[in-house]
Amino acid sequence: MPTIHEQIDELLAADLHGELSAAERDAFHTHLVDCADCRQAFQEEKNMHKLLNETLADKKADTGFEQRMVSRFRDRVPQRTGLVQLVMNLVRLRAVQLTAAAALLLSMVQMGRVLTGESAAPLTLREDATSNERSEFAKAPSSRTRDSEVLAYKTDGPGSGADIFGASKSTVAGIVAQNPAPPPAQDKAETETALPVTVYSADVLTKQASTAPKPKKAETKDQKTPAETTAESPEEPASTTAGLTANRKLVRNATAELEVVSFEETVQKITSFAAEEKGYVSTSSSEKQANGKLSGQVVVKVLPDNLDKFLLKLRGLGELKNQALTTEDVTKSYFDTESRLKNARLMEQRLIEILKTKSKDVADLLEVEKELGRVREEIETMQGELKFMDSQVNFATVTIQLSEKNMNVPAAFLLKERAQLALYAPEVEKTYNEIKALASPKVQITNAQINRDNTGRVSGYVYMLIAPEESEAIIARVKAMARVENFQVQTERVAQGGEGLGEDAKTERDKVVLNITISREEQEQALQQTTLRIRASEVNDKSKELRDLAEKQSGRIRSSSFSRDANGREYANVSLRVPMKNYNALMQSLNALGKVEDVAVRRDDRPDAQGNQADAPADITIQVYSQGNIVSEETGIMATLRRTIGQGAAALMWSARMIGVAVAFLAPWILAIVGFGWVLRRVSRARRARKQRAEEQDGLS
Amino acid sequence: MDSNEQGLYRAAIQGDRDAFEMIIRSLSRNLFAIAYGILQNREEAEDVVQDTLVKAWKSRWRVREPEKFPAWISTIARHRARDLARRRRPEPLPHDFESADVAGPTETASAELDSEVQAALSQLPELHRTAVTLRYFEDLDYATIEQTLGVSNGALRGILGRALGVMRRRLKPTLASIA
Repeated sequence: MPTIHEQIDELLAADLHGELSAAERDAFHTHLVDCADCRQAFQEEKNMHKLLNETLADKKADTGFEQRMVSRFRDRVPQRTGLVQLVMNLVRLRAVQLTAAAALLLSMVQMGRVLTGESAAPLTLREDATSNERSEFAKAPSSRTRDSEVLAYKTDGPGSGADIFGASKSTVAGIVAQNPAPPPAQDKAETETALPVTVYSADVLTKQASTAPKPKKAETKDQKTPAETTAESPEEPASTTAGLTANRKLVRNATAELEVVSFEETVQKITSFAAEEKGYVSTSSSEKQANGKLSGQVVVKVLPDNLDKFLLKLRGLGELKNQALTTEDVTKSYFDTESRLKNARLMEQRLIEILKTKSKDVADLLEVEKELGRVREEIETMQGELKFMDSQVNFATVTIQLSEKNMNVPAAFLLKERAQLALYAPEVEKTYNEIKALASPKVQITNAQINRDNTGRVSGYVYMLIAPEESEAIIARVKAMARVENFQVQTERVAQGGEGLGEDAKTERDKVVLNITISREEQEQALQQTTLRIRASEVNDKSKELRDLAEKQSGRIRSSSFSRDANGREYANVSLRVPMKNYNALMQSLNALGKVEDVAVRRDDRPDAQGNQADAPADITIQVYSQGNIVSEETGIMATLRRTIGQGAAALMWSARMIGVAVAFLAPWILAIVGFGWVLRRVSRARRARKQRAEEQDGLS
Repeated sequence: MDSNEQGLYRAAIQGDRDAFEMIIRSLSRNLFAIAYGILQNREEAEDVVQDTLVKAWKSRWRVREPEKFPAWISTIARHRARDLARRRRPEPLPHDFESADVAGPTETASAELDSEVQAALSQLPELHRTAVTLRYFEDLDYATIEQTLGVSNGALRGILGRALGVMRRRLKPTLASIA
């Protein structure tokens, strides 16, 4: 400790400023009496204190200073209007900031959920988890560092605490178990360091516990008991269910359907199986079917316990088509009937008593006799019911449906023909009506319809049934009516009365189904497509001639157009369709119109085409064009210049656009980098300034 | 610090202007003492206090604990005063001029004393100077000065003792002449 003399500066100032304690002041003044140097310093210090008070008095803030400050403050910080201030204050409040952050976070989560399409499932999962945790907690309270537990350990000392630790597998137990019997005080300290979380509450509770340690201990034990019961609980229901089924009256029934090779053999096997399983065949019935095969039903009664084994055996007998097992609980009605029977018996006894004792009035006697009869009848019915239920319960009923496999030879074959005919007709409606006119007793039209869609295309269909002997003639007639696009016949032989091949079975023809669809010719795809150009001087005239030529060859114009371009060139496009047989003739005649150029022919050979190839359509697209003015307006110096300038301008525009794209792409990056750099510079400058300031302060002090 | 004062600081932080004006009235003298301690110039010190108050009002929401308000506002004042002192450093210190200029035989004794004290004061480190001005301007007790300057409990005794000791040794001849 420094002596008074060493810290005289400090003591001098503090004494003059009245900041010394009484003891310090006494010691200080005692020292002053002894020490001349300090006395001298004290005198100087006193003088300086006085001097400072005097000189600094007129340097300090004058009396009007505060008022001046307030009024200047008012001038420099004008009062805001209420609303703005309110908003500003609100924004600056910590609670509001937190709420805003939370809302933002929540909305982001919600947005993410919407984007990913995830439902709120994780939330419920978490709830499950916590509830699991809770239940786990309830099961093993000692595995958690509960306050009460630590407390019980501390108040009772390590001796009694040992049972708790023996039962628990927690980390606390692990830590403490390393020192089996430490002195209580040391142990307490250890628990505190090991479990900083529980220390506080444990400490608080220790005080309470020291006043009443016993109830606390009891509480700990109470907490353990629910854990034990929950651990045992799974076994308990199992035993009770076993006890319940023992008293129950259960009727077990099974049905099975089997396909077997031989009915008789199977019934024998079933009988032996039934005997093995302590059962019997109750009824069996059989029936001979049209194909000579047997089918029937066998009802077997077996002990309910053997039912499953019996059903397994059944499977080996043949192909199991289906099987069902039912259990019916008749406990309630059984016991109801039993108690009613008891009552009825009592009633019978009473009536017999009455007959014996009060046999005076004949009418009464008769009445009693009648009632007795009724009661006895009731008793019998109920006894029968009970017996039936007993038999039901004592024996399980297995109903087996048996049928022999169908392996017979067919008696006859039916030949079913289905024909489909697609037609192209120039006039759909006419053809449609012609086909409909074929109807006769042997030709039955089952369905017919004609459609016209909104582009004016007409199509129709006729479905008919034709007697087998007429079918060929009718189909031939229909085919002749229009161009056949497609004709298909499906023949099916259907065996009757069996499967397989019958050597001597007759074959019969069924009615022929004919489905006809009619479409307009135009919709047919051309077999051959030709494009060519004809150079001619007078385009308009030549195209007219072309139309005449086409008509001569029974061709039809499908479309035509005419145009003239800036250079006076004329174009006529004509698209027409001719039958294949006239194609060559038309092509020959085209040479008369002008110079034929650029002939291109495409032919789609359809191997499945069934119609007459000569009648198949061929499309020809012809462009008739004139040379126009030989010298184009688009030539010459001026035009070339114009074109060059135009191209240059276009190129310039293109490059400007590219630059724009590049700038648009780069701008955000450059901005971000510059912004980042600016922030960095600001941060480093601020840091440097702070350091400098700190250094200065260090230097000064 | 009593709860009344704390309530005042809290209200000011939450934007109550009347509360802030009350604080101006109670704290501005201390702030002036601090600023004067650093600058040793009354006009400049007054400007610093003015700036400090405006700045404090504008950034009052940064104070999370109301009881730290006085220390916080003093820090602002010290920083501003220090900035100002640094800016004018290239020039020679005015009181040196004064002492050189006006220390003539025509000068009155009190003015001479005054400049001597100022010169002695200027020898001290900034913190010590501030402690001295706070003590002699406002006659604050040590605990309040410690709180205002943000120095640890009990440290002020050492600071003031050393400051006065340094001044005493420097002013020794002057003091002898007075006595």
